[in-house]
Amino acid sequence: MVLLSAPRWLRSRLTDRFWRVQEVLKYARHFRGRKNRCYKLAVRSVRRAFVKSTKARREKKRFLRALWITRIEAASLEHGLKYSAFISNLLKSQVELNRKMIADLAIYEPKTFKSLAALAQRRRQEGFLAALGDGKEPEGIFSRIVHHY
Amino acid sequence: RYVRQLQRLQLLFSPTAADARGARQFVEEAALDFARRHPDVVLYVSPRSGWAPLLLAEYLNGTVREELIAGKTSEEIAQLATKLAGQSGLDIVRIRKPFHTDNPSVQGQWHPLTNKPSALTIQGPRLQPQ
Repeated sequence: MVLLSAPRWLRSRLTDRFWRVQEVLKYARHFRGRKNRCYKLAVRSVRRAFVKSTKARREKKRFLRALWITRIEAASLEHGLKYSAFISNLLKSQVELNRKMIADLAIYEPKTFKSLAALAQRRRQEGFLAALGDGKEPEGIFSRIVHHY
Repeated sequence: RYVRQLQRLQLLFSPTAADARGARQFVEEAALDFARRHPDVVLYVSPRSGWAPLLLAEYLNGTVREELIAGKTSEEIAQLATKLAGQSGLDIVRIRKPFHTDNPSVQGQWHPLTNKPSALTIQGPRLQPQ
């Protein structure tokens, strides 16, 4: 009986180990502590980092929307309006800008934002007149709705 | 008019190695067709023994891309070559935003003093010029 299995095992050695390890470590280079050097710790950290980044893509949308809302609130308070009044009156005047664009306008185009705030304020006043004035005054100009169909 | 960004394609392979078989078949069969179909790409075929078979693509902006073609068939190498011919030399990284401006602000960017009243926008009782 010839023992064939031992020489067969020894014939194939793993020569790629360095590159297989580097594939994982390259994603861990900016970590803190031994996780950026030691493979065993790095594997766990890199896997958790990838999982967190996948899950965070859904959170990013929520986070950015909250950021835009904060910025619009700050900008509209400078012009004497609260966020809720601003947004609701803009929608009633058929200005369908999303929060991202309004936030960018507030940062880069302050005069445009001031005119938007003035529009919302005027529509608000017309809304109050329509609700409290009881019919005898003419209808507001900015309360007219344009149908695009 | 379309300008192809791929400048030259260097096919480096060994005339005897086993993993360069696909490269040799490509050179025998499909390289001429590829060169005729892409007249503005220069195709260099240089055999060098002892090295792994490589497809070097150089672009007009200076980037050089090396692709290993060891163990690939002739059709796969042709597909790879057409893919490289359609690329530009820009780095293949995630583009953070699909837009960019050098002048983001037309009316002047907001700063804490934009909406504050100043001495020029007098808000008190009218100052008479003396």
